[in-house]
Amino acid sequence: MRTDKLKPIGQPWRELLLRLTPYIIAATLLLILPLFLPPYLQRMITKVLIFALFAMSLNLIWGYTGLISLGHAAFFGVGGYTSGILILRFGIESFWLVAPAAILIATLFAAVFGFIALRVSGLYFLMVTFTLGQLLFSLAEQWFHMTGGSHGLRGIPLPDLGFPFIWNTISWYYVVFLVFAICYFLLYRIVNSPFGYALQGIRENEPRMRALGYNTWLYKYIVLIIAGLFAGVAGVLFAHWNKLIAPVHLGLPTSLLGLLFVIIGGAGTLLGPVIGAVVVIFIEFYASIYTPERWPLILGVLFVIAIMFLRGGIFPHLVNLWKKVKSRYSYGSIKS
Amino acid sequence: MDFMVINLLNGISFGMILFLITTGLSLTLGLMGIVNLAHGALFMVGAYVGWTVVVQLELNYGLALLAGGVIAGLLGLAIERGFLRYLYKLVDEQVLLTAGFIYILTNLSLWVWGGMAKTSYTVPVLSGSLPILGGTYPVYRIATIGIGLIFVIGLWWLQEKTRLGAIIRAGMDDKETTTGLGINLGRVNYLVFFLGAFIAGVAGVIGAQLLSPDLSMSFNILLLALIVLVVGGVGSVQGALVGAMAIGIINAFGIAVFPEFARFLMYLAMLIILLVKPSGLLGRTT
Repeated sequence: MRTDKLKPIGQPWRELLLRLTPYIIAATLLLILPLFLPPYLQRMITKVLIFALFAMSLNLIWGYTGLISLGHAAFFGVGGYTSGILILRFGIESFWLVAPAAILIATLFAAVFGFIALRVSGLYFLMVTFTLGQLLFSLAEQWFHMTGGSHGLRGIPLPDLGFPFIWNTISWYYVVFLVFAICYFLLYRIVNSPFGYALQGIRENEPRMRALGYNTWLYKYIVLIIAGLFAGVAGVLFAHWNKLIAPVHLGLPTSLLGLLFVIIGGAGTLLGPVIGAVVVIFIEFYASIYTPERWPLILGVLFVIAIMFLRGGIFPHLVNLWKKVKSRYSYGSIKS
Repeated sequence: MDFMVINLLNGISFGMILFLITTGLSLTLGLMGIVNLAHGALFMVGAYVGWTVVVQLELNYGLALLAGGVIAGLLGLAIERGFLRYLYKLVDEQVLLTAGFIYILTNLSLWVWGGMAKTSYTVPVLSGSLPILGGTYPVYRIATIGIGLIFVIGLWWLQEKTRLGAIIRAGMDDKETTTGLGINLGRVNYLVFFLGAFIAGVAGVIGAQLLSPDLSMSFNILLLALIVLVVGGVGSVQGALVGAMAIGIINAFGIAVFPEFARFLMYLAMLIILLVKPSGLLGRTT
């Protein structure tokens, strides 16, 4: 066992550098590199961040609490649809009114759906969340004069921030990045709080948590609402960025995509879903260039590969790799 | 014919298709504890195979039923033997794996059968109408009710009166003890999975005449099946039957009275059941 006492003196810069390396790499990749990318890639990494936020919110209930939901896209879609409807149908333009209202509505939906879905547990929970998501899907298809029917709500304008702002691919990226970073920080705090630990306790052994005096129903209910809130934030960003929101963004395909991000990246880790989103969206991008009609097949095969061979996800592997690199260049190896 | 009677018959015939869709899903869910999300995709494959046999090859309907069932059944068997059995007790992973197969099966069907939705067809034998109660009613729908009833009776008999049925029921109630008594549940699992997929395929062949086969079927059928399961309760033939009839009849009257919102009546029925009796009308209590 290495302890702090073994730390050789005289090499603190090396230790510091090693400890900072992941952050330096992340900051370079996320803040500086996008400036030098062609616009289509800037657009794509913006999409990655939006879906990564969505996947992180799903991970909160699946990866951390152990509730598998097939209807999480409902809140993503409600966030997007609400902002689109408020702007296009009610003429409310200010982003500072539209976005909070949309997030609030998404959260309210999460509160109602969560209440219904938590009547049951296990696979029933999965079935009920799925049907509730499809309920909204049908509603979006049928309520034509409000939602634009199956073609979706088109022509959602750029966010009106109330001050002059030039929207281009790179400024979009930085705005989304800012929101993403704030949400990431909040999720980090939630996961590493007593509340977050209780959620993981529920995932591991719910009867024991109940025996310890936790009101596990309430914990699950609250985490569903929180996850709905973050999915709503992602949905608002998505609607403005994509300029179009359609029933498919409420339904099963989007929920499944979120689950795929989580499982490929690593369920129950904060960064896993982000990595999953990067991997899948990049594969989707290149697949849609070479064989657009076979993309669903590739997506299906990705599911199979992720589950048969990558269980636990990519992120834990990256962590292990980093630990190896670190121990190689760390103080431990100086002695030899 | 009387408004009530005709809608009741419509509801029962649609309910029979719902029963066929749901019962296989209910069996695999009850015994193996997984939701086979690819169930709707297997239904779709059955529908396409039936279309090929009847319309393209102009062969008889019985053969179409058999071919649709067997091909869907073999696909199901391949999914179970090739993948699911390696995911023992990893329920979430099993469910997501079957979700992957929705995409795979749907896209492969697109490859084989082309993207055009096939128009719904009627088999020559089953075309025309029969006089009933002073009105007429399509033969095809009556035949659907008949075929459905054969399956209801056959499956009920399998469940209640045979050794396999007893093993399946025992496996649903207590897996460990059943295995401990020397029963190879692994083999029962894939038999049941094959049977569930087979019935999905048969349902596809029958249902194709009512709902024209197309690629969005995978999701729509799955949705219907899950609503029926929630209403009826998981794990028994009776539960699937009651749920299917309830939803079928509600849907038929809904379509007759306010067509645009018929779908929401189904959801409403499901929500009421969830709030009042979460285990479903005839759910197995554990």
